[in-house]
Amino acid sequence: MLKLQNLSKFYRTDEVETVALDQVNVDIAAGEFVAIMGPSGCGKSTLLNIIGMLDSPSAGHYLFKDEDVSDYNESQLAEIRKRNIGFIFQSFNLIDELSVAENIELALLYHDIPAGERRDRVAQVMNSVGIAHRAKHKPGQLSGGQQQRVAVARAIVGNQSLILADEPTGNLDSAHGQEVMEMLQGLNDDGATIVMVTHSPSHADYARRTINLFDGQVVTESLRAVV
Amino acid sequence: MFSNYLTIAWRQIVKNKLYAGINVLGLVVGLLVFVFGVLLVNYERGHDQQWSNAERIYAAGTLFGPSAGVGFSQSSGIYSAFAPFIDAEIDGVEQIARTVGGEFLISHSDDHFYEFIRFADPSLLQIFDFTYLAGDARALEDPSGVLITREIAEKFFGSIDVLGEVLTLDHDVSVHVAAVIENLPADVHFVSMIVGAQTFGIVAPLQALNAARDYDLAGNFNNLSSSDLTYMLVAPGKEQAWLQQSLDGVFERHYPAEQRDFIAGLKVRPLGETNTLLWDSTGLPVLDTIRLLAFLVLIVAIVNYTNLATAQSLGRAREIGLRKTMGASRGQLVTQFLVESVVIAAIAMLIAIALLEVAIPIYNGITGRALEMNYALTMPWLVLATGAVGVVAGAYPALLITRATPIDALRDGGKRGAHGARFRSAMLVLQFSISIFMLAMVMVTYFQNKKIEQASDIYPRSEIITMKRLGVESIQLRMATLRNELLNIPGVEAVTYSSMVPYLQSNSSFDVTPQAGDESQSFLLKQLIVDEHFLSTYDTPLLAGRGLSREIASDSIREGVLAANVVINELAVARLGYPSAEAALNQVFYDITKQRDSRAYTIVGVFPDQNFQGFHNEIKATALLMLPQGEVSSGPDAYSFGSIRVTAGTGMADTLAQVERVWDSLIEDYPLQSEFLDETFGQTFVFYSAMTFVLGVFAFVALSLSLVGLFGLAAFMASSRTREIGIRKVMGANTGQIVRLLVWQFSRPVIWALLFSLPLAYFAANTYLSFFADRIDASAGIVAFSGLLGVFVSWSIVAMHAIKVASANPIQALRYE
Ligand SMILES: Nc1ncnc2c1ncn2[C@@H]1O[C@H](COP(=O)(O)OP(=O)(O)OP(=O)(O)O)[C@@H](O)[C@H]1O
Ligand SMILES: [Mg+2]
Repeated sequence: MLKLQNLSKFYRTDEVETVALDQVNVDIAAGEFVAIMGPSGCGKSTLLNIIGMLDSPSAGHYLFKDEDVSDYNESQLAEIRKRNIGFIFQSFNLIDELSVAENIELALLYHDIPAGERRDRVAQVMNSVGIAHRAKHKPGQLSGGQQQRVAVARAIVGNQSLILADEPTGNLDSAHGQEVMEMLQGLNDDGATIVMVTHSPSHADYARRTINLFDGQVVTESLRAVV
Repeated sequence: MFSNYLTIAWRQIVKNKLYAGINVLGLVVGLLVFVFGVLLVNYERGHDQQWSNAERIYAAGTLFGPSAGVGFSQSSGIYSAFAPFIDAEIDGVEQIARTVGGEFLISHSDDHFYEFIRFADPSLLQIFDFTYLAGDARALEDPSGVLITREIAEKFFGSIDVLGEVLTLDHDVSVHVAAVIENLPADVHFVSMIVGAQTFGIVAPLQALNAARDYDLAGNFNNLSSSDLTYMLVAPGKEQAWLQQSLDGVFERHYPAEQRDFIAGLKVRPLGETNTLLWDSTGLPVLDTIRLLAFLVLIVAIVNYTNLATAQSLGRAREIGLRKTMGASRGQLVTQFLVESVVIAAIAMLIAIALLEVAIPIYNGITGRALEMNYALTMPWLVLATGAVGVVAGAYPALLITRATPIDALRDGGKRGAHGARFRSAMLVLQFSISIFMLAMVMVTYFQNKKIEQASDIYPRSEIITMKRLGVESIQLRMATLRNELLNIPGVEAVTYSSMVPYLQSNSSFDVTPQAGDESQSFLLKQLIVDEHFLSTYDTPLLAGRGLSREIASDSIREGVLAANVVINELAVARLGYPSAEAALNQVFYDITKQRDSRAYTIVGVFPDQNFQGFHNEIKATALLMLPQGEVSSGPDAYSFGSIRVTAGTGMADTLAQVERVWDSLIEDYPLQSEFLDETFGQTFVFYSAMTFVLGVFAFVALSLSLVGLFGLAAFMASSRTREIGIRKVMGANTGQIVRLLVWQFSRPVIWALLFSLPLAYFAANTYLSFFADRIDASAGIVAFSGLLGVFVSWSIVAMHAIKVASANPIQALRYE
């Protein structure tokens, strides 16, 4: 599905150059569930942002579905992103002024989908993540776990084939964390490719493959035997 | 504690330089305009305070009746016949003095200058206490004594020790200097009134005017001039209402009943109002409008401040929450905010005053005014204004932000945009209502000016040189020669003499009736004395009949002959009751004016209606009359103007130089007084264009302030929505969609503003336009257009910022949340 070749990312601030990613080579096939682990500051979020086309690499190549997108501009990237990728953030990133349903609908709003169909799909996905009874609430009135479920719903409502999750359980207690992980598992079973950053080894166990980053470099890749 | 407030205030200002800068700038402009406006209006209204009798001096004016049709509702002067009645019949009027102004050629040995002379009853010097350098207040009791100012004394004699020196008026009447006074300051109405001479150099007794121009000393009910004031000094304790009543009595007893539809009554005014008479008599509240506009601009500036401060203060919710947690009371926090806004207002006021000190001398230089900031007097007022502005502007944000409980304040830090959103929108609506209103008014006055300018093009005003003051014998005797000589100048096409030229105010009219003896059908016909070249020189066509001719004796008005031929305009045809120009030909109408020969006039030609006076005046029913050739005429109905038509493309200045040479070779005792007709037009037009300019400045300031405020607010709102924008972009929104979202947020208040301001502007525009007889008819369109312009400009401002925000990389927006 996607291929990173010698991909690097530098940040230059006040003459200090930070190498966030250093010659990373990663291959992710369609339908995989990949976890990215590593100590704080090693470049996990940076990697995920580049995969998600929210950011561009400084050097190297990024092939998405065999298309080299490394030199694409913002609007070209936005177009691919819109059709293929869903996001789940550690801090949920819901809009406070919009209701749960409206937050989820946001993912369809910019896709030329008729309002009726949008409503149906939002209702359906709210049922599947078990948040339907809170449809009219604002994010501020929900618990952290509920908020993250809304975020997951928003990531999957567009039937995106690649779901990127940056510490989706970071703000949740273990019970709620578990819940979200099971949801991701379910999505993966339905065919979605999932790339997730996590600090929790137990959550990483849901993934079939784990990529360990250290100082911007891939140090180990481990495959979990399918149970 | 207080210095702590100041320190925090200062830190806030330094920390948020952009916002503080916008805030200070806005208040500076608002305060500058406001203080200047108030200063200007107070200056104009605060004239003539130097006279020791100032409180007891009144001027008498005249109220026109509904049918007068002179374009003004009142005149600042009264008929000269009233003064003797007032003097005789009202005991409480201690002194009354008429004044009549006139320009004369004043000679002293070989020096000749045209000077404006005020002829007055001797009591003028009892009413006004001038500062005498020589002579005293009895100066005018001698029928040939004159009072002159230091300036005139130095101009003619090079010294002020000139009692007894002789001056000659129009080479005819000699007078001697009986008193020399100090020059008048700029803020007395004698020198600053917009109507009248605006100079005060020579005062002579009315007897001298009688000697020079047969002035009717007994007074009459014929000539009414707005620049000739009549002053009264009332006994101590007598009120304006009493004086008004007494004058009403005099009017009732003595004013001829048959003229009362023209004049409705007399009007008493305190001396202090004299300076602003013109403004008041036009019926347009110019000075009050200036004050109102200045105040509105200040409001816009305050609203601007309040809005930005509110938006910005919400970002300090966490700080407030912390302070509350640490034990600060709400009162202390409110004080802290208010100190901050008062400090900003004080900085703004200081800058505004500094700018005023630069602006006032410039304004004085342009307008001949003597405005000054009298700090001793205005300081308490300025301090008060500063405090008020600071408190009013800072109150809302202070109350809003300190209202939340500490825990709410701490928790809400993230969603700062939401609070007070409705208030901010309301303030935007207010700002834009004011701005769009002003914008609409500027456009309406601008287009009306264009219309005036275009309407004036019926006369070839850029191709005409006028000569003034030809109504003296030595010039009248040489008129024919002068004309012939002028025609020899290359480029001079035509020369005509007339009693008036276009664009000057004149009310020379007479009462006529279509039926001999039937006064019920009478109406006022404006008369213009012309010669046989007038119509062609001024490109005026004839609709029927012929022009006046020298070949036909009855085309001229001859002494003792009670019939003459005239050319009239279409309006006169209609007033006389004829269905068409052709039908009016050879018809007769009759002069029934008192003190005039009751002549019968035969219509021999009809010319189209033209606005001879131009500007806001109505076109009047007009008759063209001709005087016999070679007859010496003087006064308002004489050939006192000449018009020289110059071929287009000829250098006007060169031609003028040659005209001057011709003049000097023919007429030695009077210098040429000439003017390009374009200048004559410009002198009055400046009144209208100045009005548009002033309005334009106000509108520009108000709109700029509103836009700066809008920009600041848009920037703030966008920054408080950064995260939302980021999320929307990650969800696939493109730049255009985000821009639309942000722009729409600010469109609603602007559209509300349109709903408020456009009807108001439409109403105000029509009120203004009703002042003009010939007005633009697209005022609704213009008002609507200015609304659209306002919306478009504010959209652009918001969109500009929104595009920048919307095209930023979404991850930047989300990263640091
Ligand atoms: N915009 C930026 N400017 C400068 N340096 C940056 C920027 N973003 C990230 N970095 C640096 O790049 C490196 C990698 O950051 P990244 O956010 O990818 O780390 P991370 O692995 O996600 O850490 P964590 O587990 O704490 O989220 C860090 O050293 C960080 O300081
Ligand atoms: Mg991270």
